[in-house]
Amino acid sequence: MNKTININLGGIIFHLDENAYLVFNNYLKAVKSGLEHQESGAEIIADIEARIAEIFGMRLKEAKRQVINESDVEFIISTLGKPEDFSDNDDIENEPFTSKAKDKRFFRNPDEKVIGGVCSGIAAYFNTDVVWIRIIFLILFFFTGIGFFTYIILWAAIPEAKTTAQKLQMRGEPVTLESIEKVFDKFGAQSKESGKKIKSGLTGFFEFVTNTIGSIFSFIFRFLGVMIAIIGALIAFSLLIALLGIFGSTWSFTNFDFININGHVLGMSGTEAIFGNGWRLIALRFGTVLTLLMPLFALVVFIAKVLGKEINNSRLLSFSGIASFIMGLLLIFVSAGSIVTDFKESATDTERNTLSGTHFDIKAEFLEENSGFFFEVDDEVLRIENIRFNIQPTSSNEASLELRHTARGSSHSEARQRAQNYDFPYVQNEEELQLSEYFNVPKSAMWRAQNLKITLFLPIGSSVYLDPSIENIMYDVKNLQNMWDGEMLGRTWTMTSKGLSCEDCPEIIYYRAEELEDEIQDNIDEELEALEEDIERKLEELELELKRLKDR
Amino acid sequence: MKIENTKAQMRKGVLEYCILGILSNGDAYASDIIEHLKNAELIVVEGTLYPLLTRLKNAGLLEYRWEESTSGPPRKYYSLSPQGKSFQLELKSTWDALQKAVEHITTSK
Repeated sequence: MNKTININLGGIIFHLDENAYLVFNNYLKAVKSGLEHQESGAEIIADIEARIAEIFGMRLKEAKRQVINESDVEFIISTLGKPEDFSDNDDIENEPFTSKAKDKRFFRNPDEKVIGGVCSGIAAYFNTDVVWIRIIFLILFFFTGIGFFTYIILWAAIPEAKTTAQKLQMRGEPVTLESIEKVFDKFGAQSKESGKKIKSGLTGFFEFVTNTIGSIFSFIFRFLGVMIAIIGALIAFSLLIALLGIFGSTWSFTNFDFININGHVLGMSGTEAIFGNGWRLIALRFGTVLTLLMPLFALVVFIAKVLGKEINNSRLLSFSGIASFIMGLLLIFVSAGSIVTDFKESATDTERNTLSGTHFDIKAEFLEENSGFFFEVDDEVLRIENIRFNIQPTSSNEASLELRHTARGSSHSEARQRAQNYDFPYVQNEEELQLSEYFNVPKSAMWRAQNLKITLFLPIGSSVYLDPSIENIMYDVKNLQNMWDGEMLGRTWTMTSKGLSCEDCPEIIYYRAEELEDEIQDNIDEELEALEEDIERKLEELELELKRLKDR
Repeated sequence: MKIENTKAQMRKGVLEYCILGILSNGDAYASDIIEHLKNAELIVVEGTLYPLLTRLKNAGLLEYRWEESTSGPPRKYYSLSPQGKSFQLELKSTWDALQKAVEHITTSK
């Protein structure tokens, strides 16, 4: 069984089988393209079509057939001649059918494309092997990213070589009837061998873009497609980077420091401090591996395609890639979701230790590297810097240091247990009270938003010197001078019933002078007011006196 | 210089005169003209003729009318116009003179 295609020649319908149609259609188009620029070209074409109809009709009648086959078409070609035989003799000698000679133009090559045919178009323009152009683009893509945007812009800007004439121009060959015929011959020969395979390439092979609206729409669609592709690629790229980060941090490579925030490295032990070392870490690891498989597959397929290799089972590959991607994401979400429940409950452990003495020099052990990150992993302990130091008055006779350590957990008892499990190193050496900028929790306790509030309770009358080394842990210490934490450093403060008061601040003199000034001003105002009242009273008395004198 | 090209040039030169000659013996379809020319081996393929006929018609040397056909679409039935007739006669005298001259040159030594 063969498919037939109906055509109309000179007002008569003919049935052509598929192969005959392919060859005939291209033949007729080549003939027309040579004639339509001539004077009365349409008339000549009509004559030729009528003649073809006549011959077809005769052959069908003789052979008692209804369908035109390839041998009929071949007979037509041998009878009427090749497309170049049709041009008028005089014309062909004086002015060979050429459209604007040999100028080369940039076109995208639709016959050899991986994505948009940009690379093969460039290769055709510079007359080189397309592989080199692709390698250059790949290098630009992976090492600078410029390649990606260049490609997208070229893709949108350069038109595709749709017609044979454009394809010849793309290679810089002159557009003559003969060169078109050459292309036609090439494809005609191929179509005999594998008519089906070549079909998509041949339909529309000679078609010129006549419908402007159609082409505008196709440009808009292509533009939208390119935009979506850009956004998708960017999302995919950032996702890939994020996954690589998780991947790097869940599997300890030697000195693998992918996530590097302010010089702080979140390595494998950092991930363990959040995910523990149970099923959640395993789920996270497998999740990232599975998720990374898809881009890896895609990369393999892409590179293979660029190098021109066909991949068998590419469908299976992409299916398993997508499946593993979804599985991986699920594992990551489950693992991360179970971490969130670990922050549900909160508990605080309070400890209060008395200190001897009435004056304290408060210092802090300074950390060499201050990361500003949640925690740092130091062998088997997590070093956490979330500390708030405050000073408050107490009615007691003795000074004391209160430590309130808060932690979170999936249940209250778990949070409580975690809250008790910490170590804050501090030493009192006579007057000197040495605090630290951090506290430690065992690594097994994991990081669960632990924080420590330290309060120094001072009896009234005792004093304290705040060393600049405690700057990082000071948190909104109240004082009578209403000074900022930073300003309070390097000074000695005395506890009064109202709060801390500065003893050696120059500001305090200004403060008192201001107070005095206000007092004097108040006194002057009062006296002035009294005087005014006095004068008024006297005036009233005088007026009354005057009235009395007049009455007399 | 290829011999085929030269042969083709020679044939092409006399083609117009031959077409007018065929039509001077009576009106004819395009396919009849082709048949004559093919038999005389003046043309190999038909494609050459159609642009030529149209050009002669546009020059006012030929006229045509439509005739119904049993084996296909209506056909053009060509005839010489009065102008074509005088053109043909003029060409005939040129051809005869040319033929004699060529014969004389190529045979005499």
